[in-house]
Amino acid sequence: MKFSIARFWREKQAHYRLKAAKCKSCGRVNYPPSSICRYCGSRDLEEIFLLNEKAKLLTWTIIYSVAEGFEDKRPRIIGLVETIETKARILAPITDVLPEELSEGTILEPVLRRINEDGEAGIIHYAIAYRPVIKPVGRKED
Amino acid sequence: MSFSEKKTGIIGWGVYIPRWRIKLEEIARIWGFSPTTHKGLMVEEKSVAGKDEDAVTMGWEAAKNALIRAGIKPSEIGAVWFGTESKPYAVKPSATIIAEALGIVPETMATDLEFACRAASEALRISLGMISSGMIKYALVIGSDTAQANPGDVLEFTASSAATALITGPSSEAVAVFEASYTYVTDTPDFWRRAHVPYPLHGEGFTGEPAYFKHIIGAVKGLFEKAGLKPSDFDYAIFHQPNGKFPLSVGKKLGFTREQILPGLVTPYIGNSYNSSALIGLAKVLDEAKPGQRILLAPFGSGAGSDAYSIVVTDKVLEKQDKAPKVKDYLDRKTIIDYALYAKYRNLILRIRG
Repeated sequence: MKFSIARFWREKQAHYRLKAAKCKSCGRVNYPPSSICRYCGSRDLEEIFLLNEKAKLLTWTIIYSVAEGFEDKRPRIIGLVETIETKARILAPITDVLPEELSEGTILEPVLRRINEDGEAGIIHYAIAYRPVIKPVGRKED
Repeated sequence: MSFSEKKTGIIGWGVYIPRWRIKLEEIARIWGFSPTTHKGLMVEEKSVAGKDEDAVTMGWEAAKNALIRAGIKPSEIGAVWFGTESKPYAVKPSATIIAEALGIVPETMATDLEFACRAASEALRISLGMISSGMIKYALVIGSDTAQANPGDVLEFTASSAATALITGPSSEAVAVFEASYTYVTDTPDFWRRAHVPYPLHGEGFTGEPAYFKHIIGAVKGLFEKAGLKPSDFDYAIFHQPNGKFPLSVGKKLGFTREQILPGLVTPYIGNSYNSSALIGLAKVLDEAKPGQRILLAPFGSGAGSDAYSIVVTDKVLEKQDKAPKVKDYLDRKTIIDYALYAKYRNLILRIRG
């Protein structure tokens, strides 16, 4: 068993619902959540969830030499995204997209995906990935 | 006559269809079927879940869309029921993963149900009972499958991936109210999968008449008798959709017209999504329905059983239709893949994993 079940369990709110910490002092959002603001050092933070926010793709990398356990997901696309309202910056897998379809500024939405699994018998790791928003047909977008 | 179901209705609905599709002619090419074998199924393409998708992830997105339409807090949901025959864990509930990931936990019931393609419909009927009794206010019912089929079996032409979620609750808040429901089950050897066996088998002669047709006709006729309804009372009729042909055929036997059936027929575009098969037809109809219209819904599951529901659309449907992506939005988001990618995505290639 290669995964730490305790860590998986401890971090599930950040992985499932994008639990983050908003600094009451400087207003920046820390993801993953932290008890100390990594921007200003304040210890006065509040819990927020970013699951209902769309995000903008800032930059990305395409990984061909993937880590063990990700061979079937090659190539992996990892993006740095910024949530539209809270301006939180999140490093996450980008999914349902071909590398040549990516462009800076693409609007993305969070989706729960099967990121990895601990062999045939171990725990399945679900977490949020981002994918281009589903475009409504014949209607105005938000 | 008034039934307990009338206290209940659909508060929100949502679907998910993966981006990837494989054409049936590609499956026929790989396995050497006659180019005409799949034509009779009236299915062009089937949806294929990607490498990072399974019944849980698809069910999560359908449920999220249903929550957006319902406009209720996740914590108000008193039950999460997950109908599937492709659960990622043999033991460990999928329902709790989705409930946790949507912020519904901890004060909720949650379980996975199994009845081939009909488990989610059984969940729907259970929800009507618990809501009408006042035990819970809202239930989240999810039908989600990455349907399995033995490679090279005729089932492979249609076994597809999709999910539908319904949030049921009090009729006063509903976009569509349940008028009556009826269930018809027997022990029938039409389709099964034993433990530790990766793909289902089917009893050739049993899949049509003794299973699909007998049970759907039994449920729908039972509903008609119970509620005093007839085919012409309905604007739409949605049946379980293992292929494009069976729903039209069973509808005709029951006295429905093609015009009543076609708006809810999704299988020709994505194949048979098992627990989502009939429910995604209902979702497509709700995407377009007008207040006052009456819908017949008749899911079916092998083994075998069928439920029939009479559902009447309310004026609240109009304000919910555009709040989340529609079935058509997901149908239009598609990329065709070849058999090799499909085989990789659906774990049909044997690999040694470290």
